[in-house]
Amino acid sequence: MVAATLAHPAFAQTAFAQTAIAVPGRPAVGTVAGTSIVNTAGLRYDLDGTSRSTVSNTVTIVVAERLDVALVRDDHDAVVVGPEPTIIPLTLTNLDNGNESFTLVATVSPGGIALRTLVIDADGDGLYDPVRDLAPVDGRTPVLAPGQSIKLLAILAATSAAPVTAPVTATLTVTAQSTTGSGTAGATYAQAGDGGSDAVVGLTGASASVAIPLSTGPAGPSLFKSQSVRAADGSQNAVRDSVITYTLEARFAGAVTGARIADPIPLGTVFVPGSLTLDGAPLSDAADGDAGRFDATNGAQTGAQTGTAQTGVAQGPGIVVALGQVAAASVHTVQFKARIQ
Amino acid sequence: MITRPMIAAVLAATAAVASAAAGPLQVTSSILVESRTAAADGTTRIALVKPSKVTPGDKVIFVLSYRNTGAQPLANVVLDNPLPRQIAYRSANPGSPAPDVSVDGKTFGSLATLRVRSLDGSTRAAGPNDVTSVRWRLASPLAAGSQGQFAFQAVLK
Repeated sequence: MVAATLAHPAFAQTAFAQTAIAVPGRPAVGTVAGTSIVNTAGLRYDLDGTSRSTVSNTVTIVVAERLDVALVRDDHDAVVVGPEPTIIPLTLTNLDNGNESFTLVATVSPGGIALRTLVIDADGDGLYDPVRDLAPVDGRTPVLAPGQSIKLLAILAATSAAPVTAPVTATLTVTAQSTTGSGTAGATYAQAGDGGSDAVVGLTGASASVAIPLSTGPAGPSLFKSQSVRAADGSQNAVRDSVITYTLEARFAGAVTGARIADPIPLGTVFVPGSLTLDGAPLSDAADGDAGRFDATNGAQTGAQTGTAQTGVAQGPGIVVALGQVAAASVHTVQFKARIQ
Repeated sequence: MITRPMIAAVLAATAAVASAAAGPLQVTSSILVESRTAAADGTTRIALVKPSKVTPGDKVIFVLSYRNTGAQPLANVVLDNPLPRQIAYRSANPGSPAPDVSVDGKTFGSLATLRVRSLDGSTRAAGPNDVTSVRWRLASPLAAGSQGQFAFQAVLK
């Protein structure tokens, strides 16, 4: 519950007459808090050959306010922060079935990168307009309707020009909590919900947090490829039937999702079945449950790919390893073998 | 294992204050929730209690308790419960006869026999979410002084 609702009981009544309205683009949050669920049964019977009807008592329950919130980052690219302001867009969603405002707290630790401000993106365009996009008053968002989302912009800058060779890493943490209350799921705030209903902490704990790794170092993933040759006679001569071990080392400065390493098998060589490994663990050649596969027909493109960005244009049979979600400042190594024909 | 004790004791308290209908057939409607407690023997015991806080997605049990308070039997007893629109039907409560259900308030039957007409005129099999009303019929006259109970499970939308 929020003060604005209390101040306008007539408006609140109007809202409570509605239930579970599906607004396009908004998550379904269910029957609105404070709604009265009213039940009466009808009954008919025959007595002395005459049909009679009547009704049961009427039972009413009032829907409680479930306190829930979601906070997510809008993109997942590695964040490199320079001296110029960098903007990180976030989306805050009121998953409450009532009207709610949220307390926002943002911190950067350990330092080297500073949070200039955290503002509400008034027009939701993801761009910072200093005139219109303002920090929430008293650290609280305006009251959001059930299912309503707003965009937030975290604006960061490096506090000093760190050398590229020794980039500073830090973490931005943004937390949103329901102002009515938060904590353990199921905790109850009596009569604190909309329409005088009880407020109950939902499964999210009425608190949502995102931690975003930051760096002053180079952007995006990098991929280093190396090879070693072993011939049948133990030498390193690249002759027929020599086996080449390729090593692909992918470095990720920031956390990414959808990371994928692909490399074609060089012309004049054939893939050695069962030779694909990720970080030393074998991957099967089939396109199955594990992260890797050997694609004998379709074109694999060399590169470490995240989202739509990718490097390399070579085509042909090749290996593909889907890393998926990758933590910041991580290294993954893919190896496979090819035999010279 | 889950045991479901008789809920008459719970209902007695509400019945005393809630019987609105005058006449020989008294029906008390209740909306209850399950309260699960672990028993000493390791089983889970389910009691039905008055809800203190119901939020969307919660299971609720609608209970209709009926009693013939008159001196004569009552024939052709029908209990009809249109669902509040915020309530989605799920199933008969264990121990209760299954109701006939309706998706339009007119045609009643088992859910499997009902179809829903779409805007484009086509029809599809009805699901629990389509149910708008439930109904029970007593097959034989309700003797003077006798009583019973119907219950169904539902979810708050």
